[in-house]
Amino acid sequence: MKNIIVTGTVTYAIRGRDILRKNGFKATVERNSSGLGRHGCGYGIVVIGDIDNALEILKMNSIKIIDVNKK
Amino acid sequence: MIYLDNAATGGRKPDSVKKAVNDTLSRLCANPGHSGHRLSETAAEAVFDVRSKIKKMVGATSETEVCFTQNCTHAINVVLSGVLNSRDHVIISSLEHNAVLRPLNYLKLRNNVEFDVAEVYDTDDELTVRRIEKLINKNTKLVLLTAASNVTGKRLPLRSVGELCRRNGIMFAVDGAQGVGVLPLDMNVMNIDYLCIAPHKGLYAPMGVGVLVARKNIDNILISGGTGSDSANPYQPEELPERIESGTVNLPGIIGCGAGIDFVNSLGCEKIYKHEIDLCKELYRELVKMGAELYSCAPDMYRYAPLVSFNLKGYGSDEVGNYLSKQGIAVRSGLHCAPLAHKSIGTLDRGTVRVSPSVYNSENDIKKLIFLIKRLI
Repeated sequence: MKNIIVTGTVTYAIRGRDILRKNGFKATVERNSSGLGRHGCGYGIVVIGDIDNALEILKMNSIKIIDVNKK
Repeated sequence: MIYLDNAATGGRKPDSVKKAVNDTLSRLCANPGHSGHRLSETAAEAVFDVRSKIKKMVGATSETEVCFTQNCTHAINVVLSGVLNSRDHVIISSLEHNAVLRPLNYLKLRNNVEFDVAEVYDTDDELTVRRIEKLINKNTKLVLLTAASNVTGKRLPLRSVGELCRRNGIMFAVDGAQGVGVLPLDMNVMNIDYLCIAPHKGLYAPMGVGVLVARKNIDNILISGGTGSDSANPYQPEELPERIESGTVNLPGIIGCGAGIDFVNSLGCEKIYKHEIDLCKELYRELVKMGAELYSCAPDMYRYAPLVSFNLKGYGSDEVGNYLSKQGIAVRSGLHCAPLAHKSIGTLDRGTVRVSPSVYNSENDIKKLIFLIKRLI
């Protein structure tokens, strides 16, 4: 399953990706246009693995998340 | 020309900085984080890398605290306009640059912001801290100090003032224009909330890029607009750094700044500081022998940034500056955009001649300068 965690800014996306990688996740930054209607252009973190755990880690590190798209 | 005006801007840039700027213009000219293609993403990663380098250098906590501005003055304006509201009170030092004084006077006239100036004592840091403490009132929201005077080189007691601010719940901002890259500055240790940086000076970066490291948010913004993310939202994002980085950032400048940091790190700030202070010591010693008017104690690595201000009896500072320029030496004369500091040392009517070496200057440069000054008098 491909999960995209949408962040408010590209800086948060890159920082969030690095934090997840340090915690053993496979994570990449990707342009996110799937939520165009709601958020417009932006960046998200594509995460493979336990999305709830990933979200918890990001929140603990003050990464502001504006949406989560599960595919 | 022998360039000794590095407190104004670094006169010689490392080859690695020039190469980084050229490479960016040749191969990475994309809008970082605003577009979806690979080049834009690579540019965004490169900008993030520079944020990481700055974070490590100044003891910040996160890359998200590192914001790029046009220059250090812009960064200071972002802080002052960003956190101050009507009736808020600010304390600054008697050595502040117009980059601090003018925005504060503007905010005083426009928004009823109030501020006081604390005298700095060249040989008594404790007294300086007590002066600042005495000026604190119930409306004091911010203390803003320069890391070091651009006129006398005097380093301010940032750690003690940071502690004072922490005890009193006051925000602490530092104008690091003369400090970062040379002086030891750690935001954590010094309890600094906002650090403004001029990378084109101590970090050997190109002009046109400044840095604000903000550990607290900026409420009121000077500029809003596109940030490349959350673009359906008609309101400016709350999150730094993008909150204050609307529009296309200066990518070649930022990448050049990263190369400049690598250059400084490869030598070590302490080594650079020692080299420059040693040159200042030599000049100071000779100026004392010549009977020049000096405005600080002898340079050392604890109390001063590496620069020397002086005057020669019977000569205006501009006369000396022009003479040296004609002889192939670049120094700065006049008020150095710091009338408060000149008022403090009694040179508001004539300014000073300021000599500020960089890592590229040698003992021979100082010897040539001394020779020419002797010839003049």
